[in-house]
Amino acid sequence: MILFLVKRLIWIGLTLWAVFTASFLLMSSVPGGPFQSERNMSPEVRLRWLERYDLDAPLHEQYTNQLTGLVTRFDLGLSMSLQDFTVNDVIAQGFPVSASLGIFALVFALALGLAAGMVSALWRQSIWDVALMSLATLGIALPNFVLASVLILLLVFKLPIFPSAGWGSLEQLVLPAICLGAPFAAYIARLTRTGLLEILSQDFIRTARAKGLPARRVVLRHALRGALLPVVSFLGPAIAGILTGSLVVERIFALPGLGSHFIEAATQRDYSLAMGMVLFYTALLTTMNLLVDLAYAWLDPRVKLD
Amino acid sequence: MAITALGYALTFGALEPADFTMINGTEIKSLDPAIVSGAPEGRIINALFEGLFRQDPQTVEPIPAICERHEISEDGRTYRFHLRKACQWSDGTPITAHDFVWSWRRFLMPETPAEYAYQLFYIPGAKKFNSGVLEVGDRVEVELANRPNPRQTFPQGTLLRGTLRRITKPPEPQAADGIGEDEQATRRAHWQRRWIYEVEIEGQVRRFRDAKAELSAGDETSAQIEPCQQVLYDFAEVGIQAENDRLLQVTLKEPTPYFLYLMAFYPLYPVNRACVERHGREWMQPENLVTSGPYRLEFRRIRDRIRLRKNPNYWNADQVQLEVIDALAVNSSTTSLNMYMNGEVDWALDPPATVMSELIQRDDLLRAPMLTTYFYRINTTRPGLRDVRVRRALNLAINKQEICDQILGAGQLPARGFVPPGVAGYQGALCGAYDPQAARALLAEAGFSDGHRLPTIELLYNDTEGHRKIAEKIQNDWQKNLGVQAQLRGMEWGVFLDTTDRMQYSVARAGWIGDYPDPNTFLDMFVTDGENNETGWSNARYDEIIQTLAPAEKDPSKRLALLREAEQLLMDQQPIIPIYFYVSLNLVRPYVEGFYPNIQDIHPLHRLRIVPDLRRNHRRSFLRR
Repeated sequence: MILFLVKRLIWIGLTLWAVFTASFLLMSSVPGGPFQSERNMSPEVRLRWLERYDLDAPLHEQYTNQLTGLVTRFDLGLSMSLQDFTVNDVIAQGFPVSASLGIFALVFALALGLAAGMVSALWRQSIWDVALMSLATLGIALPNFVLASVLILLLVFKLPIFPSAGWGSLEQLVLPAICLGAPFAAYIARLTRTGLLEILSQDFIRTARAKGLPARRVVLRHALRGALLPVVSFLGPAIAGILTGSLVVERIFALPGLGSHFIEAATQRDYSLAMGMVLFYTALLTTMNLLVDLAYAWLDPRVKLD
Repeated sequence: MAITALGYALTFGALEPADFTMINGTEIKSLDPAIVSGAPEGRIINALFEGLFRQDPQTVEPIPAICERHEISEDGRTYRFHLRKACQWSDGTPITAHDFVWSWRRFLMPETPAEYAYQLFYIPGAKKFNSGVLEVGDRVEVELANRPNPRQTFPQGTLLRGTLRRITKPPEPQAADGIGEDEQATRRAHWQRRWIYEVEIEGQVRRFRDAKAELSAGDETSAQIEPCQQVLYDFAEVGIQAENDRLLQVTLKEPTPYFLYLMAFYPLYPVNRACVERHGREWMQPENLVTSGPYRLEFRRIRDRIRLRKNPNYWNADQVQLEVIDALAVNSSTTSLNMYMNGEVDWALDPPATVMSELIQRDDLLRAPMLTTYFYRINTTRPGLRDVRVRRALNLAINKQEICDQILGAGQLPARGFVPPGVAGYQGALCGAYDPQAARALLAEAGFSDGHRLPTIELLYNDTEGHRKIAEKIQNDWQKNLGVQAQLRGMEWGVFLDTTDRMQYSVARAGWIGDYPDPNTFLDMFVTDGENNETGWSNARYDEIIQTLAPAEKDPSKRLALLREAEQLLMDQQPIIPIYFYVSLNLVRPYVEGFYPNIQDIHPLHRLRIVPDLRRNHRRSFLRR
């Protein structure tokens, strides 16, 4: 177990380093720069700007400087498009926004997905099953920006229940969380349904039923735990999807989360912020995958960590 | 983690609602007036800081702010500004003429670095101080490398004043092939750091070299060479003087009729010396920031909002009505429109063009012609386009009226000149109007009848829907009227800027916003090798007018006539094709008063008022809908 953790942490470190190097090379080869605008600066002023952000040094020096700053001080440098802040500030302010959005979306996806999946599995081939599974197909097929437009039309303008965008109150989180969570809810519903159906046809369930256990207990105690395994292994990619999916949703709903910062950093050529975002996402995703693996071992005694 | 995040989200529910909420477009780059250049920054800085003058939102004329009254000398070259006694910083200290001298020194310091530094180049010595290019015999100031905090520009190290006697330069590195312009500029800068300056200070000659210089083998090393931070032109020689606490005197090289407009331009607003010196880079954090304007900064949430609260110490605080203002950083025009339509904001900018035909009928869409031109640059170094007749034919073949009516539809005006209408006393020059026959004839005369043998024109634009539609329309017009083939190349913004800058285009989209209502802010772009020329065009007479004749002309009407001559040259030679003049588009709730559409699209927040009764009724009728 300890060995497994150490190994995985080393892998995470190596992944981060590889991502850092690849991003550094990509960024330095893309045309355009952070200090370019439709109104050109004089060469002198431009040079001073490059100097301020250490962009006048040769590439290999920039690479080693940035890497040492990162490894020794966790310092991602100053943002080039948000000049009053460091990249660490931007992440510290943006992460809680994305995290609360992600958590709401995930809770919504799990609650809706599990409930719908169970209903479908237990009343197989009923009208409910057909309706829920058709909805799930729709939920997977619809991109979240389409869903967002539809929800804004319905729940903001036709029925004025929710605000259309912004950040500051809980009700402003509802629509973005639904848009973000909907496709995952759909996936979870289908996974739960399939998993539950498979488990319900197995011998130990028949035994449990034969023992005379009430149906509710059979489902909740015995069947569900096994049926949840595919859902749990889906959580890894789901968290990844929710994090990266929030790029679009955050923009539509004007949320100041990591997704907005990521898009802006890329379009404004804010090298340091873009690098910070890429590394932060990588660290987050690899950690989430690690947690999912641990949870998997805990849920299914047959899985061994090594 | 989940619980912390949730807790964080919940704390936001407690946010006190603002009196006025506005969309401010892109997140601002910085709150430091000296280093920014955008419109969103301008809206916030104008609320937080104050200059000698401000622009009146109705007339855009400069009106006194920190300056109570001023005198201009007979020859128009000396301005004496008398400062208002009641003006103070938000920390309670008075705003003095010395604050202006110090702030403008900071503004012009090469290290700052101010993009708009050239706005003070009308003052003798300012350019020299800013560029750091010195001549033997100049009065100079040497800053020793002993700054109290080496990571901050201010407070500065010890300043020694003297006369430059000699500069010893190591051999200049050879310009190698295959190295970009930027890289070469960097090498040059590193080379300049190795120069040795001999300065006579109080009768004694001392030798200095930049402490940051990376020495090469051939460089002289001697204990006598003192390390310094920088050697600059002596700021005392720059024509900015504080006669006393309340009298600021500025001398100009030439009478500059639009100088007072510059004094009302936010990069020149003074900043608080004590605050900058104490906090260094962190001076614009809300807990540190000392300001001078009608509002104070309450907090900033990155890419969310900036909250402003009325400054009770502002000299004109009685006239400021709104207590709390939220400026939201919203990038998407559709999202902005949604928020406005849903009553979440009181003011939204630039609604999307796709819904213009419906919005145009609303009376809360405020429109005004703007001091902004949409145009196409032509690369005059490309074969075919080198011929002025081809460039003129391309202009004549575009139906600009149709672009304005069918694509834009918000009352934009087709442009036949580069300087937009609205500059007092100036009658703009014109290029040819839409005339397909004349266009065809010109093209044939140039030897390319029906576009035959003319290399395919690459039409470059940054890929947004609006620009694409216009490019398609122009491509179509050229094909239909001239038989000229154009290829559209939509690019991502950063790549687009880089490609235009390197002049790797045939025809490229562009836009220009005037900084002050004078033709000069447009015309000085196209002097030979100007940073924003980017067309390869060069004309000796044009340069002469813009750089020497017009600035020296004392008679305003003669000066404008000269500028008109220059614009006519630009239009005849056609290195650019003007397409249309912008209109400003603002959606403002009807209960907001004091919002005036104007040619510079400036709307000072401290002049806005809300009529509570109107707002209440509006909300009610709004909810009923």
